[in-house]
Amino acid sequence: MIPFNLRRLGQLAGIALLGSTLGACVTSRMENVRQEATGIAEGEGVVIMAKSYHLGNETEANFISCIGDSIGRGSTGLRVIPNREFVDALFPWFEPRTAPAETKGLPALMARPGVAETIREKGVRYIIWLDGDTDKVAGGGSMSCAAGPGGGGCFGFAWWQKDANYDATVWDLTGLEDAGTVSADVSGTSFLPAIVIPIPLIARTQAKACKGLADQLKLFIVSDESV
Amino acid sequence: MVFGGTKTPAMALTNGLANASIPTWEPGNLMSRWLKTIFVTILFATLSGCGGSKVMLHDPTIPEPLIDQMPITVVARFPEEFDNFVHEEQVIGKEKWTIDLGQANKLLFTQLFGSMFSDFSVIASDVDARSLPIDALIEPSIDAFEFSVPNQSQTDEFAVWIRYRIKIFDNEGVQIANWPIAAYGKSQTTTFGGDNALRQAAVLAMRDAAALIIMQMDKETGISELSAARARQEEAPPTNLPAEENLQSTAAEEPPDDSL
Repeated sequence: MIPFNLRRLGQLAGIALLGSTLGACVTSRMENVRQEATGIAEGEGVVIMAKSYHLGNETEANFISCIGDSIGRGSTGLRVIPNREFVDALFPWFEPRTAPAETKGLPALMARPGVAETIREKGVRYIIWLDGDTDKVAGGGSMSCAAGPGGGGCFGFAWWQKDANYDATVWDLTGLEDAGTVSADVSGTSFLPAIVIPIPLIARTQAKACKGLADQLKLFIVSDESV
Repeated sequence: MVFGGTKTPAMALTNGLANASIPTWEPGNLMSRWLKTIFVTILFATLSGCGGSKVMLHDPTIPEPLIDQMPITVVARFPEEFDNFVHEEQVIGKEKWTIDLGQANKLLFTQLFGSMFSDFSVIASDVDARSLPIDALIEPSIDAFEFSVPNQSQTDEFAVWIRYRIKIFDNEGVQIANWPIAAYGKSQTTTFGGDNALRQAAVLAMRDAAALIIMQMDKETGISELSAARARQEEAPPTNLPAEENLQSTAAEEPPDDSL
């Protein structure tokens, strides 16, 4: 019978953790297309919105909150107005059905009663519209696990690839114009080899896309470079 | 054989758990425990498959809309189903989901119409609206309520569809509009968990309906014209309404007569 104790379990967990940190491979590409000069003053902030699911967008809620958290974090963090607070304050003009799809709808929206005043009160300078999602695009391998009175284990090898493609379009509410777009294209392949114990080598594709996109967005907004 | 390693100070924190979960196991005991664990797991999995989930949504609110009120006097009459609306969905081969909206629809429409019209109140079902000094009577109802759970859609999303119907009558009881509206909301399981995701999807569908009503109601039904119509009616000398006019005003609900 296989000797079993907590120390051995700890060693195996350590190996698995090390493997998950080192093993998987991720490639990423960030791009931005600037259309207008940007910049942000004290007291001004941004709000992160997902493009409407009425238009087929499937951006994950956890990705939206990840971008909001990442943009607001750190010494260079921007002021982020919570999405729900913004949408509620401007009800019903930023609901999935009613939110403007293009900047040319902004002048009419700002002319509606109370809209421009509420946006000014909230200190919203930019709306960042997120579009895209993370999908599993390929996978393979096989693994089988068995357990019996004497113990259990898994044997085999599995892998899968996920692609995270996101676009963040920045609208400047001061000039009512499209300031530009930042894109993140991240591909990650995860592996799961198993010889008794499965060792997950997970590619954190979505997390990488979140961090990359948030860092680029911060640079894009605070940069005062002209077009 | 006895399982368990040498105890060290570093393991002190885990000793309680280790002692509890890894006692001196004999192979026979071990097998017996494994079988018990497997049996209990299968039992729970089976029972949860037979059971169902019930989601309650009793006090949804919509934010105060940023709109100008229409200067008309409106009353609403709600159907009985608005007092306690319950919908069940049996996913074939899977669990049953029940959503209990209670009086949520009544609260939604009361708040919504209260924000849209300068003078709004709710009347009981036995009140004759023609005896009231109003411009319009609104009767909302639910034509259909559907939802899908992740098992059905093969995604991690709950989606809710609600089809409301809004009938509008003028102060003489003549129906001037019969407007069906379809609202939709969806929410991801990963964010809110199963029950909360379905509740959130239902709230989003109701907000969607409210947004659509605010945006389109006047365009689709012409309700704001009724105030002017009543003013003209009050200024005009009283006459007996010709029978043809009454027939014409309800003709929109009847198939066109091509016999002429």
